[in-house]
Amino acid sequence: MQPPAEHVHWMFATGFLILALCLLGEAIVGAEVWQLRRWRAYLWPSTLFLMGVLMWPVMTFFTNSTIHMIAHGLWAEVLMLAGAVELALVRGKISSPWWRLTSALALLVSGAAFLVHEQNGWFFQRSSFLHHLMGWTLVAIAVIPFARCVRPRSIGLGSAYALAFVVLSVMLYCDRDLAPVFGHLSPVAGIPHR
Amino acid sequence: MKRFACVALLALVFPASASAHAALEQASPSFRQRLNTAPTQVLLTFDQTVKPLSNSIVVYTARGRVVSLSAREGASAHEVVARLVHLAQGPYTVRWHVISSDGHVVSGVYTFGFRAAAPPPTEAYGASGPTTTEHLVRWAYFLALALLVGGIGSRLIVVRSPLPARAERRFYLLTGIGAVATLEVGIVAFLLRAEDALQLPFARFIYGDLSTISGGTRFGQAFIAMTLGFSLVTAFLFLAWLTERTVLLWPAFILGLAFASGLSLSGHSAADAGSSWKSELADWVHLSAACLWIGGLVQLAVVVLPLAPELRQRAFLRFSAFATVLIALLLAAGIYLSILRLPHLHDLWTAGYGHVLLVKLALVALALAWGGFHRVFVVPKVARGSDGVLKRLSRSVLGESFAGMAVLLAAAVLVDSKPPPQSELARKASTSSTNTFVACNIPCLRTEAGPWYHPARASRAFPLNSRNNSRR
Repeated sequence: MQPPAEHVHWMFATGFLILALCLLGEAIVGAEVWQLRRWRAYLWPSTLFLMGVLMWPVMTFFTNSTIHMIAHGLWAEVLMLAGAVELALVRGKISSPWWRLTSALALLVSGAAFLVHEQNGWFFQRSSFLHHLMGWTLVAIAVIPFARCVRPRSIGLGSAYALAFVVLSVMLYCDRDLAPVFGHLSPVAGIPHR
Repeated sequence: MKRFACVALLALVFPASASAHAALEQASPSFRQRLNTAPTQVLLTFDQTVKPLSNSIVVYTARGRVVSLSAREGASAHEVVARLVHLAQGPYTVRWHVISSDGHVVSGVYTFGFRAAAPPPTEAYGASGPTTTEHLVRWAYFLALALLVGGIGSRLIVVRSPLPARAERRFYLLTGIGAVATLEVGIVAFLLRAEDALQLPFARFIYGDLSTISGGTRFGQAFIAMTLGFSLVTAFLFLAWLTERTVLLWPAFILGLAFASGLSLSGHSAADAGSSWKSELADWVHLSAACLWIGGLVQLAVVVLPLAPELRQRAFLRFSAFATVLIALLLAAGIYLSILRLPHLHDLWTAGYGHVLLVKLALVALALAWGGFHRVFVVPKVARGSDGVLKRLSRSVLGESFAGMAVLLAAAVLVDSKPPPQSELARKASTSSTNTFVACNIPCLRTEAGPWYHPARASRAFPLNSRNNSRR
């Protein structure tokens, strides 16, 4: 039995929130203090990697259209890839800061996948609006990891990155399977469940 | 893949202009439902308002005769219904497509049976069967499995000792490529099979409903299990590299071997007449031994021999002993499966399946001769400590691995081919025991086992569309 899609979105919203809080904590106290305990450095990259692994069941069980399946598969891959690269950077297996461009790539691909797989217009229903918004947000914030390659210790960039994930998690929490957006719901969308 | 990329880019450029699409929530008769009374209509319920066309629901018999009347809107705007003419006993294919209220076309296929088991949607009327592309994709899947599972197995069973840094990097690079390829090629294989079942042009296929194929077929269930399993294998492999703990390769190896059984549980050995747990086990042993042998050869040729001079002699001798066991298992399982699928010797030269098997056997003979040469002439020299032989050995081992890869190509074609029909007795026994086959007297029906399917005859009699025919 499959859970409703909105429940799955909320689970991943929780993942993004954990990710965002870790990043925010690191941005506020600084990397040196944050990494006084070594395990903390692994916290958010591990979360990212785990979310990638957990995205595979979503891909395989929600196959009501090909484009959905491909989009979820892409998210699984880029989440795992970005998490793996960050873990390798923390562990010292790789050292070039330019590896952080992988996160930029992951954000761009994720944003594109959101925009491609949502076939409705912005105001069709709430999930459509959120998909468009998340898609363009992800594309826009792809610039942050790029900038962090140049200025890895910038508090402003670190905070912006963390807040972007807070915003993404809030958007995912707002998602409902069938709900109006700003009081508008397309008449062809169906009847809201509640 | 290029088409995928083009459509993805176009959709990204014009996201807001794309239309809504409805999803099928309920169908009556249901997916692969076996009915004892003949249904009088097919009723589809969607999650959104849909607009039916006169041919929104088309129901085919196993021979391709249309038994549905014009479709129309049901009790609500979410429903589409089509009345059926009097149905005879047998399996039926439902192909549906509706227009969402803002113009988007959504499509799907499923099957049901009236006093007969329904075939899986991949075997529905109109599906043309595996193509050359699917053979190549399956071959790529076998190669990826060999790189991944065989590579890890070789590292754990043959090499055992720590590798020099460069060799270790190359080991993880090769197995990593295998892990990613297993996931990616698995997805491509599933989409190709789904595309064949749905019989849709690409632009409509990307909005096609795949749930009946992923949930309603052995192939789809194997795809789900194997994708989940190999994502875990990939995670363990990565963690082993990250933490430099070889012990983490063990769960990756065990999971890899276990989930490779998905192929055995969804192929001929699980679905054909005469199949049993023994045939499934034999198929899994056959596949696993082949992966370990070929993956081990690649590791030996590309990682150990050129980059780990201290380990060359020990690894080569150990692999030689290991490969002997693998070959014995491979041959024993292969001979058992051949006898099971080809009960008569003349099937080898009279049946298409037999022809492919002959090609495979010839390639196996080549690979075995190559391996035998290593075993008989090279192993004694290496055991005596001849370093010159070890230095030159890399290319020869790589050559043997290429011969093994050619065997895998023949195996890929063989897996997608249909074995000749079993005897009447075996057919009946299989039908009654597994309940996966269609228990009716329809000679042209394509079943999971497929012994009675004659696609060319079916397409000549009832062509579904030009694309389908051209693929044959």
